[in-house]
Amino acid sequence: MRYVASLAGLVLALAAVLPVAAQQGVSDTEIVIGCSNSFSGPLAYTGEQATRFGVDLYFKVVNDAGGINGRKVRTVYYDDGYKPQEAVANTRKLVEQDRIFAVIAPQGTPPVMATLEYLEENRVPLLFPFQGSPVIRGKKHVFSGMTLYDRQSRMMVDYLVTQRKLKSFGVLYQDDDYGKSFLTAFEKDLGRHNLKLTATESVKRGVTDVSAQIAKLRAAAPQAVFLVLTPGPGAQALKERQKIGWTDTVMVSSGPLTDEKYLGLAGDAAEGVEGLSLWPDPLASELPGMKAYRSAMQKYFSGNEPNRYSLSGYFAAMLFTEGARRAGKNLTRESLITALEGISGFQSGILPPVTIGPDHETQRQGFWVRVEKGRFKQMTDWLKSE
Amino acid sequence: MRRGRAPLLVALAVATLAVWPWVAPRYFVFLASVILVNVIVAIGLNMMAGYTNQLSFGHAGFLAIGAYTAAVLTLRVPGVPVVVTLIVAGLFTAAVGLAFGIPCLRLGGLYLTMATLAFGFVVTEAILNLDMLTRGADGLRVPTARLAGLTLSTDTARYYLVAAVAAVMVAAAVNLVRTRTGRAFLALRESEIAAQASGVPVATYRALAFGLSAFYTGVAGGLFAFVVGFLSPDAFDVFLSVDFVVMIIVGGLGSVPGSIIGAAVVTLLHDGLATFQNYRPLIFGALLIACMLFMPGGVMRALSRVARR
Repeated sequence: MRYVASLAGLVLALAAVLPVAAQQGVSDTEIVIGCSNSFSGPLAYTGEQATRFGVDLYFKVVNDAGGINGRKVRTVYYDDGYKPQEAVANTRKLVEQDRIFAVIAPQGTPPVMATLEYLEENRVPLLFPFQGSPVIRGKKHVFSGMTLYDRQSRMMVDYLVTQRKLKSFGVLYQDDDYGKSFLTAFEKDLGRHNLKLTATESVKRGVTDVSAQIAKLRAAAPQAVFLVLTPGPGAQALKERQKIGWTDTVMVSSGPLTDEKYLGLAGDAAEGVEGLSLWPDPLASELPGMKAYRSAMQKYFSGNEPNRYSLSGYFAAMLFTEGARRAGKNLTRESLITALEGISGFQSGILPPVTIGPDHETQRQGFWVRVEKGRFKQMTDWLKSE
Repeated sequence: MRRGRAPLLVALAVATLAVWPWVAPRYFVFLASVILVNVIVAIGLNMMAGYTNQLSFGHAGFLAIGAYTAAVLTLRVPGVPVVVTLIVAGLFTAAVGLAFGIPCLRLGGLYLTMATLAFGFVVTEAILNLDMLTRGADGLRVPTARLAGLTLSTDTARYYLVAAVAAVMVAAAVNLVRTRTGRAFLALRESEIAAQASGVPVATYRALAFGLSAFYTGVAGGLFAFVVGFLSPDAFDVFLSVDFVVMIIVGGLGSVPGSIIGAAVVTLLHDGLATFQNYRPLIFGALLIACMLFMPGGVMRALSRVARR
């Protein structure tokens, strides 16, 4: 018995020491990456679409075409149900047991924040997390995965003030990091135009009754109201507005809110709502990359309708592939980071040319949409946030 | 188990705990810390459920109070020794437990369980609304624990902290039955009416069990905060409370070794099922029912039955 135990101990010790020589998660034939994401809990749909129907979709295309420099990509996912302690345990398991090369496309501010320090300490790249809080800016091993909230605010404010000539603004925001990031950014960006927010109302997370806030915002009568909410309360705000017959104010939805799910929940109350769209219309866009995305979806997951979440995961995998391809045969974490930083004018066929650079921001764009007959109609070309 | 073997088993357990970080891969050091935190919670829960027949579905709430107390204290008073932090976390949670438990003395059985269920939700709401202290839904980063000039920043250091605290808490729980309080608990477990008839003040001891249980869970919460490093209200949902109940049912009600086994089994199972959390409630529910049907008294009773044959 003691013999077996000591043998097992020796094997485990060797397993822990040996692979240090090569790059963890990269062999001659394979690259292993993964993430902890929501496959249960409040963001289960988003999580599943982004990973199994997004990241995996693009890697199926890549693997069937021979892989990246001869290496096939394999993905491992664990479910955290949006709980930070599960995200921590899962991420450690991925790094220490599954020995992944990099983390790709995890989701949600608390789970991502919970693992940030650990990943930085262990020098594991955290690639394209699906969250927009600017807190992740300026970290060596982190590349952002969504147009960060302060950039979104700049595009929204600049467009509404300079092109639409609006002067008074209100905001209805979720009382957390997501909402407050936008709130401070709105104040700063309006300040540049010598304007101020005339009314601010907040909603605690998980609350669905927003009638009091809508009534107060109406009394303040701004020309436009920014909605920085999640689909449930967002749709509720629009329905409430319809109920009290408030029509003379433009309702503007933030980037994360501008998606089809929210339209579906609001029904005809969403008509005329405007907003910032971060992605082309997943069902109707005629961009070449979007057509390729839809035909891949048709080929590999024909039962799954194209949507923004799977598109974001698909795009994350595309960027990873571009970085890994540029890093060449000698793929290490360092060479991947250098390669990603060197991406300049990359044509994805989905977003405008992507240039990453040393600030590690992969996305800086959005365009203006308005809801007409239950669909988003594109109103502008890509807006700039520089 | 014959009496003579007990010291040997204890020595073996202590030795295993001591050498674990040197023989196990890194992830299993972390996992062992999580198991030991759960062991403390299970022992605490068992003091209520096992001795005084008060089943709680709100222990995630007590864990949250302990965790947030430890985190906020470490943030506000940098350099405070971790031992002090843990004691404060335990005492504060115990105070909340007593404040909640005393009015609940009037409730029995199912009604008490429902009150504890509600307690769990109240705590989550309180964390969301006390965002000046807790940073609400965004979550709170927990600073590194400090002890006598050392920062406990490695997995091994944190593991030893958890292991030492767990050892003390287990020893205290085992020795509790030798004290007046412990004997009163045992009397209560056997029959409340009989205990009352022999002069045990039932209400006092039920409240005491509640407070002691909260103390254990609060200390575990403090350790949880340092092991995980990040807290958010999402962490402490009702399923976590159910996990704790499953631990003591699987292990054995009213038994310290049972709490340890139950916590280990459930934590490992939880870890093994990381790919499909959606099935977790189903599997744990089935386990709970199976235990009640085929193994009432949990692993401990089953073991002692086998040993007696």
